[in-house]
Amino acid sequence: MSISIPDILIRPEAFFDNALAEKENLTVPALIILLGSIVAAIYGYLMGGLSAKMMAGMMPGMDSIILISAVAGAFVGTFIFWIIVAAVFYLISLAFKGQGSFSRVMEVVGYGYLPQVLGSLITLIAAIEYLPKVTVPILTKSALDNPEAIEAAMKTFMHDPAMVELTQITTLVAIVFMLWSAHIWIFGIKKARNISMRDSAICVGIPIVLYVLYLIHNLGAL
Amino acid sequence: MQKPAFSSILIGLLLVAGLVLPALAYETPESIVAAGKVYVSNTTYDPAVFFTGDTGTVTYTVSNGNTDLGVVVNHATLSEPNQKFRILDGTHQNSAQIGPGKSQTFTFTVIAEGSEGFYYPTFSLGFRDANSLFSKQMVQIDNTPLLLTVIDKPDAFTKDKKKMIYLQVANPRKNSVKNAYLEMTGDGASFTPTQVFIGEVAAGAKIPVNFSVAPGQETTLHLTLHYDNGDNPHSVTMDLPIIFGPDKKAASPIMSNVQVENLGGVWHVTGDVNNGGLETANTVLVTSLSPAVPEDPYKVYVVGALKPDDFGSFEITFSAENTETVPIRLSYKDADGNVYETVQDVKISATSINVPAGAGGGLPIVPMAAGLVIVVLFIGGWVYYLKRYKK
Repeated sequence: MSISIPDILIRPEAFFDNALAEKENLTVPALIILLGSIVAAIYGYLMGGLSAKMMAGMMPGMDSIILISAVAGAFVGTFIFWIIVAAVFYLISLAFKGQGSFSRVMEVVGYGYLPQVLGSLITLIAAIEYLPKVTVPILTKSALDNPEAIEAAMKTFMHDPAMVELTQITTLVAIVFMLWSAHIWIFGIKKARNISMRDSAICVGIPIVLYVLYLIHNLGAL
Repeated sequence: MQKPAFSSILIGLLLVAGLVLPALAYETPESIVAAGKVYVSNTTYDPAVFFTGDTGTVTYTVSNGNTDLGVVVNHATLSEPNQKFRILDGTHQNSAQIGPGKSQTFTFTVIAEGSEGFYYPTFSLGFRDANSLFSKQMVQIDNTPLLLTVIDKPDAFTKDKKKMIYLQVANPRKNSVKNAYLEMTGDGASFTPTQVFIGEVAAGAKIPVNFSVAPGQETTLHLTLHYDNGDNPHSVTMDLPIIFGPDKKAASPIMSNVQVENLGGVWHVTGDVNNGGLETANTVLVTSLSPAVPEDPYKVYVVGALKPDDFGSFEITFSAENTETVPIRLSYKDADGNVYETVQDVKISATSINVPAGAGGGLPIVPMAAGLVIVVLFIGGWVYYLKRYKK
């Protein structure tokens, strides 16, 4: 079966009619997630670089630890996100007597993650533009004994005007592309779990809308 | 053998008489009366009051009070029975005529060899046609020197800082002294001026004398007041210890209200400088020292002059890595241009990070509204789709 990326993005119902007619295959979804995890890792490297700069003075080697953690966390986190989202959809769809396998759900979630890869690329470009403008407070050794100092530094870091602007842009981009993914996932879950369109919309819509509302709430907390 | 002629003998007698007679007194009642009108009209000692060992002069003015007769005087001498005043020069052996109403001076060089006290040297003057004239005039030997006193001086000195010392020269003697000047010496100390010329100091007078000293080390200043009593040099000395210590009146700029902020990796330190001293601190400068590296725009901040109890604000910028404290140097100059420095460590740990004013203030309405609109559109779109899908 040939994978049509435009079909995934624009005509998901037709795409899943074809794709899910085939035997379960996680290769392409995994590649999409891998692509997303690579972009996320690059973004994590840029953000981690700033955090490392902020905490480098606290302890020798602290910057390397932070950088590696940020890159690895972003890379692995994308795969974990894939599993968690699939699990949430799978569990909720049980209430609607869904019948498909979990791996089929993972396949759907993997395909539906494609818009978020595009969104990650946009946020990466924004990060490249904004991060050099961010003022990074420098923490020193004494901050190890002073959690309030670390908190104050983080607050300063997060409230930097450039950082605030970057966060707002990335959040809005994430919301748009997350809802785009949700749109794709609704069609996919319907097919994968053999439930109605309404039930699928509820399975996908509720957690995703809650997540998006959480993102909007975070915007207000900046 | 031929006998001399009578005329020759007479001529010889006349010649001898001509040679001898002028030396002989022709004491007559008139000449004695005339000599009685000759008197010592003035006596001048220079110096007026002697130190033991001083040499000087004494001048007698002899006046002829006759209006129509001149007197011939000779052999003027001066003597002091106890040899407390000894004549060095000036005995007058020649004859001189003092015309009617005229005066004649007789000057003697003397040396005062007695101890302190009053003495009465005797001046005698012989008359050709009468007896001698005697005169005793009092002269004093007084060994009281000039007084050199400190009127005001700093409580303590500071290395290389110029400070004024206020002295007073007083003359407790009965006569004036001249050519007075103050000479100052001291190891490692420089003086302005190097010497102070005072000139004549009248009897009972007091004259202020000021000079400044910049000591390079703790030392003792040797002050010597030179002066001449007549033509006799004298001096008095005074030692003045120079001890370093805190200057209680000095300017004392103090940093306060120091705040540290890191903006873009560059530390901004702001604060106030208060002058807690009693003198003006000029050209107050604030800058950071190593390991900090001063950065633009405020590598060095010039606060300017601060009067006592005055204050000024400063802001400096620097970068610093791997350090928790940065030494901040505050320097200023006194009125003489001497530079003073104080260094204060400023902690630049994370505890000093300030959240920029206004940060977190107010909700980001636009992005939140945009997010909500997107969610509403998504939900509305799907509700509409589901209704149409159901039909």
